[in-house]
Amino acid sequence: MKRLKRKKHNAGVEVNGERSVTREPDCGRKQKLAEIPQALNSDPVDIETLRRAAASKGGLLTDELRRKVWPKLLSINVYDLPHKPGRDVRDNHKDYSQVVLDVRRSMKRFPKGMPAAERAILQEQLIDIILVVLKCNPQLHYYQGYHDVAVTLLLVVGERMAIAMLHTLSKYHLRDFMDPTMDSTKHILNYLMPILEQVDTELHDFMIRSEVGTIFALSWLITWYGHVLPEFKHTLRLYDFFLASHPLMPIYLAAAIVLHREKEVKQTECDMAMVHHLLSRIPQDLPYELLIGQSQELFDQYPPSLLAKRAALQSRKSQSISTFKAFQLSTLHQRPDSVLQRLTKAQDSTTSRHASRHSGLEAALPRDRGQLWGKGNRMVKMAVWGLSATLGAAVFAVAQTAMDWGPEVLLQLF
Amino acid sequence: MAERGSTGEFSGSLTSSTLPPPRTRIFKIIVIGDSGVGKTCLTYRFCAGKFPEKTEATIGVDFRERLVEIDGENIKIQLWDTAGQERFRKSMVQHYYRNVHAVVFVYDVTNAASFRSLPAWIEECKQHALGTEVPRILVGNKCDLQDSIQVGTDVAQQFADAHSMPLFETSAKNPNSQGDGSCGNSDHVEAIFMTVAHKLKSQKPLVLSQPPGGSPGTINLSRGRDDSGDGGRGWGCSSC
Repeated sequence: MKRLKRKKHNAGVEVNGERSVTREPDCGRKQKLAEIPQALNSDPVDIETLRRAAASKGGLLTDELRRKVWPKLLSINVYDLPHKPGRDVRDNHKDYSQVVLDVRRSMKRFPKGMPAAERAILQEQLIDIILVVLKCNPQLHYYQGYHDVAVTLLLVVGERMAIAMLHTLSKYHLRDFMDPTMDSTKHILNYLMPILEQVDTELHDFMIRSEVGTIFALSWLITWYGHVLPEFKHTLRLYDFFLASHPLMPIYLAAAIVLHREKEVKQTECDMAMVHHLLSRIPQDLPYELLIGQSQELFDQYPPSLLAKRAALQSRKSQSISTFKAFQLSTLHQRPDSVLQRLTKAQDSTTSRHASRHSGLEAALPRDRGQLWGKGNRMVKMAVWGLSATLGAAVFAVAQTAMDWGPEVLLQLF
Repeated sequence: MAERGSTGEFSGSLTSSTLPPPRTRIFKIIVIGDSGVGKTCLTYRFCAGKFPEKTEATIGVDFRERLVEIDGENIKIQLWDTAGQERFRKSMVQHYYRNVHAVVFVYDVTNAASFRSLPAWIEECKQHALGTEVPRILVGNKCDLQDSIQVGTDVAQQFADAHSMPLFETSAKNPNSQGDGSCGNSDHVEAIFMTVAHKLKSQKPLVLSQPPGGSPGTINLSRGRDDSGDGGRGWGCSSC
C-alpha cells in the first residue's frame, strides 16, 4: 500500500513535468527527439522518460519512434518475438467465426488510400494475430472491439510485434474485458460517474436523472477509442498515452470528454436516448492534447483507489487494476536493444528446446529450427566469451538445463 | 405515411434545433439478432434514408431515430441497434430493453445458425418483460443472396406464425446494385418499421385513426406475404 502511494506521487511529478513541456511545444518536440533515443539506450532503459514522452504533448511523434518505444512500454524484447502463426491457428477455435466476421467488415480502420489487395493481406494477418493470442490464453475471451485494438497495433508495428503487444495487453490492460462475461467491464465503466460527481455535481445529477448509463463509453473503453475516432493519427496519439498509463486511464479520458461537452449535455433533453445519442458520437474536433492533460489531472486528483472508496466500487476485483503494479515493476529493468540483441540470441540458442516444452505463446508458434540453430552456434560462443561474469553464470545455468534436456542439442551445436 | 424529415446518425449530433416540437410521441424499437445479420444496415437504411457503404461491428448499443408522419401525426421512431455478440447482450444491452415499445428480430436468410438462435432471442425478450403483448416483427435479411439461402420462406413463415409475428424478407443491400430489384426494393425496409409504427399507433390511446388494413390489437400474421395495402407491394419478397 505504501509503495502504491509512492507510485502515485511519482505519477504526479510526471504530470508536472508534462505541464512545463506543454507550455513550450516546439522545445518539447526537439527535447523529445533527443530524450527518447537516450532513454532507449540507457541501461536499464529509462522507462519513466519514455512514459512521460508518450503521455506528454504530441506523444511519441512518429511511427518509427512508436516501433521502438511501444515494446518497451510493455516490457517486450523485440529480439524475441513470436513467429508468424501457421495456418493451424484457425482450426477449431470457438471465436473463429466472430473474429472473421468482425475483421472482414473492419475496412474503415485501414488507411483510405490502401490498395484492396494490401488491405486483404493485413486483414488475414489480423485474424491470425487475434486467434494466436486467444489460442495461447484459453482463459481469454474475444470481444467485438478487440479487433480494433489489434488492427492499430498491426498497422504500426507489424505482425510479429503486434502479437507480442496484444498478448501483453490482453493479460494486463485489457484483461477485464476478456472475461467470459462483460461484468468486469461494467465494473470498470462504473468508475466514470464518480469522477464526474467529483468535478461537476450538476452534470453528474443531470446524467443520473436522464438514466443514460455508461454504455455510451463502452466502445471507447474496450477499443481505447480505436473504434470511434475517424482519424488514425488521433488513435495513435491516444495509444501512446494509454500504453504509458494506468489501465483505467481510458475512463478518465471519457470523463474529460464528457466534462468538456458539459454545456451541450446540459442543454440536451434530459432523456436516456437523447443523452446517449449526444455522448456516443465523438465530435470531430476534440482538443486531444488538452483532454489528455485533463485526464491525467483527474487521475492524480481522484485516483482509482479514492473513487473505489467513495463509490463503493471495491466489491468486485479488477484483474487489470490488481496486476498493474506488478506489470509496472516488470518494465523497470529492461536492457537496451543493443544488449538485448546479444543476450536474446545467446539465450535463444540454448533455451529454445527447453522453452518448446512449455505451453506458452512461443511453443504454439512454429520456429524455424534450422536457421535458429545455425545462428545459435556462433551466438553461444559469443555468450561464453563475451559476456560479463554474472551473465555468463546465468547463461551457463541455462545451457546446463539445455544439456539436461537432450544431448542431441549439443550435437547440433558443435 | 409521408416522411416528414429524417435524422440519420451521421448527420451530426442532435442539437436543440433538430428536436421535434413538444408532444411528439416517441416509439422505441429495439433491433436484435445474431452478429452479422445486418441490424445496423437495416436501422441505418430506415433512419438515414440510404444504405450504408460499409458497416462495422456494433459495440454495445447504437441509437438512430427518424421523424415520420402517420395519419397526420408526427411520430419519432427511435431505433436501438444492438451488438449481436452474446457477451454484450448478457450484461450490457439489458439497460435498453426498458421502456421499449416494440421488438424487431433479425436473422440472415443465408445463415441457418442465425435463424436457430431466434428462440433464444425471443426468450431473452420475455425475460425483460417483452412478451407477446409487445408488437414484434421478424425480419429475414440478405434475401438478395439467392444462391446461398439456407432458411426457406416456408420454414420462416411457420416460425413467425408460431410466435405470432409478421415476417418480412428483405435485403439491406443497395437496391441500385440489384438487377431486377425484386427484393432489394428499399420500400421493404421502410415497410418493416412503418408497420411497427402503425401497429404501435393503433395500440396507443387517443389514436386519431387506424392504420389502413390493420385492426387494433391484432397483427395480421400473413402480412409478410400479403399485400395488405399498407406498405406497398411485395413485402414478403417471396420471389427470392
